[in-house]
Amino acid sequence: MSEERLSIIKVRDILMVTMPADPDDATVSALQERVLLAMERSTARGVVLDVSAVDSLDSFFARMIAETTRMVGLMGGRTVLTGIRPSVAITLTQLGLTLGKTRTALSVDRAFEILRDGSQQVQKP
Amino acid sequence: MNDSLPEEIALRTETDIIVVRKSVREAATRLGFGITDVTRIITAASELARNVFLYAGSGVVRCRVLNGSDRVGLELIVEDHGPGIVDIDQAMQPGYTSGGGLGFGLPGAKRLMDEMEIESVVGKGTKITIKKWRKGT
Repeated sequence: MSEERLSIIKVRDILMVTMPADPDDATVSALQERVLLAMERSTARGVVLDVSAVDSLDSFFARMIAETTRMVGLMGGRTVLTGIRPSVAITLTQLGLTLGKTRTALSVDRAFEILRDGSQQVQKP
Repeated sequence: MNDSLPEEIALRTETDIIVVRKSVREAATRLGFGITDVTRIITAASELARNVFLYAGSGVVRCRVLNGSDRVGLELIVEDHGPGIVDIDQAMQPGYTSGGGLGFGLPGAKRLMDEMEIESVVGKGTKITIKKWRKGT
């Protein structure tokens, strides 16, 4: 029933994934499968997950992000999360959540830079 | 400013969590909460609404404006007729879960809000009341 959809586009060898503002559970769950399928099809080297439209991120969503990062890692890719709003950062921290080993960047540009410098830092899934 | 709050939101399917988040966002914004407090309240509501699904299957969320003599706040009551919480102290421990959850819902919601009260009877259900007071003025 969600009219707002997850968007996945390939920019060179990186998948740009944009979450809608207030995704329902089905959209959040679909994130994993769709991102992994896109990884396989496009032989991308990594994923930029943009959550700048998201104005609240609960523990379910956070777990999905952390898991997606691990799964992408198993396939040989890296995930960089970008666009966490200040209010979301405060809330997530007070909620007691972490995003596992998910790498973060302040902007999409920076996220692409991190993924391009692939050899600079190796991320453990 | 407090006459258009939805009285009761039924939680029957997972998409109702979104309805809760939207209603809570509107109510908190209209009451003049800052963006960070709005986010805290939405997130706490989302956690509690999800618990209803995980443990009880269905329930209701009620939203109420609190007009104190010197302050204004928002109260949310999340109620279900599920199995109830056997050990509330244990359920409040971060990381503890009795089934399927991450264990952040209850303690997390408490940290995000100013007040939280849990009434639960095993076999009858659970009623959780959370409150947030608007800062300043």
